Amino acid sequence: MRKHRWPDILRMRARSLLRRRRVERELEKELRFHIEQDIEEGRIRGLSPDEARSAALRKLGGVTQIQEECRDMRGTNFIENLGQDVRYAARALAKSPGFTLVMVLTLALSIGATSAIVSIIEGVLLRPLPFHNPGRLVRVFTSNRAWPKFPINPNDFRDFRARLRSFESFAAYTRNDLQLAGTGEAIRLSGFAVTADFFHVLGLKPAMGREIERNDELPGKGFVAIVNNRIWRTRLGARRDALGQKIVLDGVPYTVVGVMPPGVQHPGNMYHAVAYGDTVDVWTPFTFAHPNDRGSHYLDGIARLRPGVVPGQAQGEMNAAMRQLAREHPNSATGWNLLVITLDSEIVGRSEHMLLVLLGAVALVLLLACVNAANLLLARATARRREMAVRAAVGAGRRRLIQQMLTESMLLSVLGAAVGVAMAVAGVKALVAVLPADFPRAGDIHVDAPVFLLTLLVAAGTGIVFGIVPALHGSRTDLRESLHESGRSTTSSYGTLRLRNGLVVSEVTLACVLLIGGGLMLRSFVNLLKSEPGFRPEQVVTASVSLPEAHYKDGKSIALFGDRLLAEVRRTPGLRAAGLGSDLPWTGWDENTGGFQIQGETPPPKDSFNARYHTATFGYFSALGIPVVRGRAFGEHDNADSGKVLVINQAMAKYWQHGDALGGKVTFSDHPKESDWITVVGIVGDVKDTPKDAGAKAAFWWPMLQEPWVRQFSIAIRSNLDSKLAADRLRTAVRKLDGNLAVADVRTMELVANGSYSTSRFAFVLVGLLAALALALAAIGTYGVMAYSVSQRIHEFGVRMALGARPRDVVGSVLANGMKLAMAGTAMGILLGLGLSRLLGSLLYGVDAADPVAIGATGVIAILVAALACCVPAMRAMRADPMTALRAD
Amino acid sequence: MSRPSDLIQGTLDLLILKTISIEPRHGWAIAKRIQQVSEDALQVTQGALYPALHRLEQQGWISAKWRATETGREAKFYQLTKAGAAQLEKELAQWERLSNAVGLVIRMV
Repeated sequence: MRKHRWPDILRMRARSLLRRRRVERELEKELRFHIEQDIEEGRIRGLSPDEARSAALRKLGGVTQIQEECRDMRGTNFIENLGQDVRYAARALAKSPGFTLVMVLTLALSIGATSAIVSIIEGVLLRPLPFHNPGRLVRVFTSNRAWPKFPINPNDFRDFRARLRSFESFAAYTRNDLQLAGTGEAIRLSGFAVTADFFHVLGLKPAMGREIERNDELPGKGFVAIVNNRIWRTRLGARRDALGQKIVLDGVPYTVVGVMPPGVQHPGNMYHAVAYGDTVDVWTPFTFAHPNDRGSHYLDGIARLRPGVVPGQAQGEMNAAMRQLAREHPNSATGWNLLVITLDSEIVGRSEHMLLVLLGAVALVLLLACVNAANLLLARATARRREMAVRAAVGAGRRRLIQQMLTESMLLSVLGAAVGVAMAVAGVKALVAVLPADFPRAGDIHVDAPVFLLTLLVAAGTGIVFGIVPALHGSRTDLRESLHESGRSTTSSYGTLRLRNGLVVSEVTLACVLLIGGGLMLRSFVNLLKSEPGFRPEQVVTASVSLPEAHYKDGKSIALFGDRLLAEVRRTPGLRAAGLGSDLPWTGWDENTGGFQIQGETPPPKDSFNARYHTATFGYFSALGIPVVRGRAFGEHDNADSGKVLVINQAMAKYWQHGDALGGKVTFSDHPKESDWITVVGIVGDVKDTPKDAGAKAAFWWPMLQEPWVRQFSIAIRSNLDSKLAADRLRTAVRKLDGNLAVADVRTMELVANGSYSTSRFAFVLVGLLAALALALAAIGTYGVMAYSVSQRIHEFGVRMALGARPRDVVGSVLANGMKLAMAGTAMGILLGLGLSRLLGSLLYGVDAADPVAIGATGVIAILVAALACCVPAMRAMRADPMTALRAD
Repeated sequence: MSRPSDLIQGTLDLLILKTISIEPRHGWAIAKRIQQVSEDALQVTQGALYPALHRLEQQGWISAKWRATETGREAKFYQLTKAGAAQLEKELAQWERLSNAVGLVIRMV
């Protein structure tokens, strides 16, 4: 029943409020009608018109009183009072600008920080991905014990696609950068080879033309390309007739069959990863060229689930299909399971943890700001007790007093929110600028309407939370006592002080929790900076070159180019070392899952020897500063004509349990002839695959000039040159040999190295800033309480000093008082922090969640800052004038 | 208990709701009706009546319409809403219980 009343009630309230004049007029008319009816009745009973009129008016009483009471009943008085309260609150706040400034600033900082973090969370975690129905998109991987997340084999993919029922559509893709030449300067396009339906899976349609079809997957048919909007505009002249045009990619003419609209986002991939975002220039068909290969895994799978199918079901169906495939191809398709996870978690999964930690930190700061504001308001309310008492004496009810005080706190928080939102807008821009390079969806982050609304809600909530305690407290006025009480009192109200002490303790507690978090982040960051990367990034400039198959048909021509490029680069003045390699530290690797044999060693049961692999030339290790621990690095003579050799890292050397790794022999052949055994000629220092890995995995390097099958490789040069000059030198060296080659990814190795610290630095900077803010808030709170309690006891101090207490005793008593609170808060904060810091988990590096240094430092800082905050009030206590105290008594 | 100000608020609400439950009435007619039926025992002044009407209207128990009386004058007629009818039932039941209880006590002692 209640439900039905709401529309009526709302309509009536709105009417009373918005059409006040009309409502008033109607009431007047209604009353007049009533009087006239009375007069009429009087006349019928036989009174004269005059007598009837005066009888009716007598009965009526005061019209204004009736009107006022009706107004009350309509509930509009609340609104009118509110206007009055806001004006009153504004005047009261303007009268104490210092208090107002501190309140608004602390609220603005915490509300602003909250809304900045929420903006990031909203953009990254909450906003749906810009694909059609993104909730049904999943990524598909193969998986086994050693490689929990691994790409798919192309032929397995094709069988899955034909057999699976859980997917509405299923596509695969793999990185396939292409060199665009012929229409201006040669550039490297970030490209992917995709199977049919790739865009269909994502729910994207070309702006012009078509997408990749099954027919394009056939060998010899795949020379078609879809370009993104940027390439269409900059390299194809934005022409409507671009379809059907030929572009030269890697020296081969491709027909443009489609142009994508602006803003197509790449869903991210795994090996040689290209980040999620507008990061891909060109898509070409993936051709199934090796129908019998079930061993190579290099496709990223993406699929759209049928409505109502959950990832787990799809995974179950795929595993069944995989078992069937293993029966059909027992030699190579065995031992794998499938892993189906939502695209959403794959893209943002890694950053989710950090964002939630930040959200937690910012929530703590907001809570702290509330406590602090409540504390300051409470002090103010106590100081204004007489004012409240006067207002109560002239008839303001308790509700009215609470309403008025809440208005004041709401006004403060709304002001804080306004300033805070401005800070958030600026802050989010700054945050996005310092986001880690690989942070997903950075482009989707901005302060928008939902965040703005949320900020307002948070502000209103804060206003009530920090306002309610002081309001309840302040409105509980004992008239007689308050009015009677003179300006100074010897005994401050015990309840108030206890409440305020409690607030200070909780402020210090919260600040300590954040300090511990900040301290742990700082330690992790420093650890990362200090951690030995295994290479020396200073003074190293790198670039990437890719040799198109059309012009470099065989390994010999690749080796020849590599040889000549190195010879050219080595003529650089000031050069100390130069080398080529399939990849650089921390940028990628390939994985050998099939394993290899080691002469004289047996692999652990149910396992094989395997390692990540790279290729490198002479000069590579010295250019990157990777130390040769034993043996030698590759030399110029390690080429196709010499004996087969490998360089391995220390992690791989541990495979040799019986013999010596150096000089040991390895083979990749199942049934090796004498010539298939490869000799280990050098052991180099470990370089982790990514900077946050716990340790390095086993890895080895082929001599690139001996095994020249890598077409895309990196150059690294170490020189005394300025990095710009060195980069120019690299470019000219490549151009001199082949003007059609693009020189891509020109950057210093330091940039690569710094990029990998950025996540940790970001987390540390943010948590550190929040911890600093928390500390400042706690200091303000402590100062506020101590100053208040000293002002309450100043008379007492005066008397004490008159009786012979030394200033030192007075200061000591104040400090002891403050320290008691600070220590209680610190102890609780450390306990709470110990519990909460476990949640930081993988954000920590090389430091325990219960790190004694971080905890000790937190304790010292918290107590020192609290002591500082107590100093000023203590000094004031010391200057209490005994004469004043005595005279006043 | 002749002065309306003695009436507890809830009772006046009950009387008003009951009075307009049969047909819509304007303010004067409501007061008159209560006076007549109670044989002049209950006199509701404007000062009590109109605030009560406004409150009931704000709460959505009753709604009002301006229309002409039999004598052709414009008056504001109040009638029960659906929610008001339900509320009346509830209050009547409550009143019955209360007055029974009070009656029992008075007779017993």
